[in-house]
Amino acid sequence: MIGTIYTDTVVHLAPEAFAADVPYQVVIVTLEDGSRTTGRILGDRVAIDDRVEHVETRDGIPFFRKLP
Amino acid sequence: MRPVAVVAYGKTPFGAFPDRDLRSLAVEAGDKCLKKGHVNPSHVEAFYLGNFAGPSFVGQNHLAPYISTALGIRDVPATRFEAACASSGSAFFHAYSAVASGLYDCVLVAGVEKMTSQPTARVTEILAGAGDCSGEIKAGSTFPSLFAMIARRHMYQYGTTREDLAAVAVKNHANGALNPDAHMRKVITMDQALNARPVAEPLYLYDCSLISDGAAAVLLMPLDRARDATDKPVRILAVAQASDFVALDQKKDITTFPAVRRAAQKAYEAAGITPKDVQFAEVHDCFTIAEIVAIEDLGFIDKGCGGEFESAGMTARDGEKPINASGGLKSKGHPVGATGVAQICDIAAQIRCEAGDMQLKRHSLGLAQNLGGSGATCVVTILGQA
Repeated sequence: MIGTIYTDTVVHLAPEAFAADVPYQVVIVTLEDGSRTTGRILGDRVAIDDRVEHVETRDGIPFFRKLP
Repeated sequence: MRPVAVVAYGKTPFGAFPDRDLRSLAVEAGDKCLKKGHVNPSHVEAFYLGNFAGPSFVGQNHLAPYISTALGIRDVPATRFEAACASSGSAFFHAYSAVASGLYDCVLVAGVEKMTSQPTARVTEILAGAGDCSGEIKAGSTFPSLFAMIARRHMYQYGTTREDLAAVAVKNHANGALNPDAHMRKVITMDQALNARPVAEPLYLYDCSLISDGAAAVLLMPLDRARDATDKPVRILAVAQASDFVALDQKKDITTFPAVRRAAQKAYEAAGITPKDVQFAEVHDCFTIAEIVAIEDLGFIDKGCGGEFESAGMTARDGEKPINASGGLKSKGHPVGATGVAQICDIAAQIRCEAGDMQLKRHSLGLAQNLGGSGATCVVTILGQA
């Protein structure tokens, strides 16, 4: 699954369940079929228009990584 | 539908009140309002309550009769409305509709939230319940982060800057410093706003509204009976509520709130006015970006130009279109379930010339915009001199 970053944020203040991950990047990705999904970023930070690929799904949440 | 008036209002100060419980706050606001309107509680025909998360914040459910009976309002319908941060805006819309349709002649609408008894991380978690818990929230989104993603996209599409966002915070803090009931009566500088710690980039501490306790209430009557209660009735020219997707990723363009546009359009039509006619407004600045998007969607300025409009000082007290003369959610405080009715109180106080140091020069036609979640509910109210 390949997509393009529609928007992003880096979260610094999180509920307890995510406190260990701080700071982490949350994104909305536009997928190739035009639909959008909210996910997380692994590895390098991304910006709007960056291309990303789906790496894994944890608890129903897609994780993406920046494509070179 | 017949014309309806706000005949009285009452509010508690907003702030962190460790010694106050939820009910005592709501009762204080309701009591003040009933006394101001010279109305005996036994004459109230229905009680409408806005509250977002009392059960989560303080463990109490069944809140409407819990509060109405403490106010001395007995036997009549008492109902709680939940629409995230637009909970009391929605209660107000439904109360207005009931009076306008002729169902009731005297109703009390209140909003209340008691938030500060929980630590910030838990408050963040409770507020996140206003988002889509099966998707965006599970991914680690918080409310600041949802609005941060809106800000990022607004910056990308329209060139809005961090300085534009900070200008909203600086302006609303300056206004709030004049409000004796504001949670944070503190003037801040541009440097302070820009150099604060990040919450969810590109939003920093001063881009975020406050976690507050507080309550607000208004009393509604048909306009032709309003003079029994007050010599200064405020006419409700229009109230409209609209809705949209809860999840941000379901929206086509996140830099605009369709529910705000729809509610505003309906309200302008019903009131027979245009955005230009609005002299001042209280808008839902839960985050600085939310005020920028709101003034665009309300038609005060072209899409994409809200940031510049703020930075140019056009929304200041002495500007072309004063926005959030009360200090807004940013400085006045944001006890979420109380906010919608509190905005109505602030507009009514301006129209009745009772706003003290906050009083604006042009104050005969005001608008309130109350937003729930990241735009899934919006209530727009237009008030004018009777």
